[in-house]
Amino acid sequence: MNNKILRAKELGIAGCHACGQVVDMQSLDVAKCPRCDSVVHFRKHNSINRSWAFLISAFIMYIPANTEPMMRTTSLGNESADTIMAGVIYFLSHGDWPLALVIFAASVMLPLLKIMAIAYILISIQRGSSIRKSENTRLYNLAEVLGRWSMLDVFVVGLIATLVQLGELTTIMPGAACMAFAAMVVLTMVAEMVLDPKLIWDQVELPNRVN
Amino acid sequence: MDNVITKSPSDSMFVCHHCDALQRTPEIEPGSTINCGCCGSSLFRVSSGTLDKPLALIMASMIIFVIANIYPIMTLTMVGVSQSATITGTALTFLNQGNPELAAVIWLPSVLIPGVIICGLFYVLFSIRYQMNWRYTRPILIWVSRLLPWGMMDVFFLGILVALVKLVDLADIILGLGFYAFLALIFVYAFTISTLNIHALWDDMDPVPEPSH
Repeated sequence: MNNKILRAKELGIAGCHACGQVVDMQSLDVAKCPRCDSVVHFRKHNSINRSWAFLISAFIMYIPANTEPMMRTTSLGNESADTIMAGVIYFLSHGDWPLALVIFAASVMLPLLKIMAIAYILISIQRGSSIRKSENTRLYNLAEVLGRWSMLDVFVVGLIATLVQLGELTTIMPGAACMAFAAMVVLTMVAEMVLDPKLIWDQVELPNRVN
Repeated sequence: MDNVITKSPSDSMFVCHHCDALQRTPEIEPGSTINCGCCGSSLFRVSSGTLDKPLALIMASMIIFVIANIYPIMTLTMVGVSQSATITGTALTFLNQGNPELAAVIWLPSVLIPGVIICGLFYVLFSIRYQMNWRYTRPILIWVSRLLPWGMMDVFFLGILVALVKLVDLADIILGLGFYAFLALIFVYAFTISTLNIHALWDDMDPVPEPSH
């Protein structure tokens, strides 16, 4: 199987990102897709540097997202602020472990794992590592599918803060972590989008060309 | 200058957008998924005939989308004070509190982007199905594909459930029509997207044009 695979780039061909059209690049770096008129490249432009930039920004945002309060509750004059971990611990101590698990997985684990996964793929590409290409591609696909679920807690806080507006009695306001969190999710998504997974495969020694 | 390699759907090549392997579209059952022969990523579904089904589903999504956004998701009652929330209402609350960024972060992925995707897909599908050749079909299809990952109605729905569990001990909660409509919407919407093959839509839109000159 492996010796039959042809890389489009080696043949001067690229697939259009928007519509999938197979385009002969005519030894140019950039062409126009004949079908949908989008710009076609062999590889996404400056993919690795841009991906690192977004990824590092995302990691910086991950810190306030977890240390700053997500919600500020004012109840009869008493103010309290909860970080994400405080919320998780609250549910654990009330025996509500499935909910604690969902919040912990979506808000704490998932973003960190996604950042680590993209960093790992970037480092593998930069080191020209030629092992585990399929696994790295699968990791990339997984990060792509799961990343958006991290947005969960921002939506939860949004809903709760809207509903619990009972004046003097109890009022819940979103905390500073909310925006940091949303920014972190968006930045990791962009880091994953600008990273071209084809780069994972670019260091393969040319297989025998059959066909 | 012939820079078009694909000649017809029966003799089509495709390039895996994950590993750049050039390969021939295998002959498989309509409706099943094509996986890359090199890296194993699932790439696209072979369209199963007419566009009637996706078109019907997208129209259903449009109707449910409107209902889900007009009616409140839930109403919370605490010592006689009631507060109900629609999704847009949630965003408006933050806008009024002087927090427009948070309003945008909630409203865009849960209302505006899915709304644009649903309407855009309706435009594209209707235009292709009835051969209307509407003018903006191509740019809209490109934008819909770009926006797809940013629509987060399913994540928002899980958010509603988590919020429910958090609040249920605190106060009386009545689920509104918006909640049930939203539940139906995420299923219909996910099903619509899974029956669609964006690549095949491009094939349906026109047989690849003859090379100019």
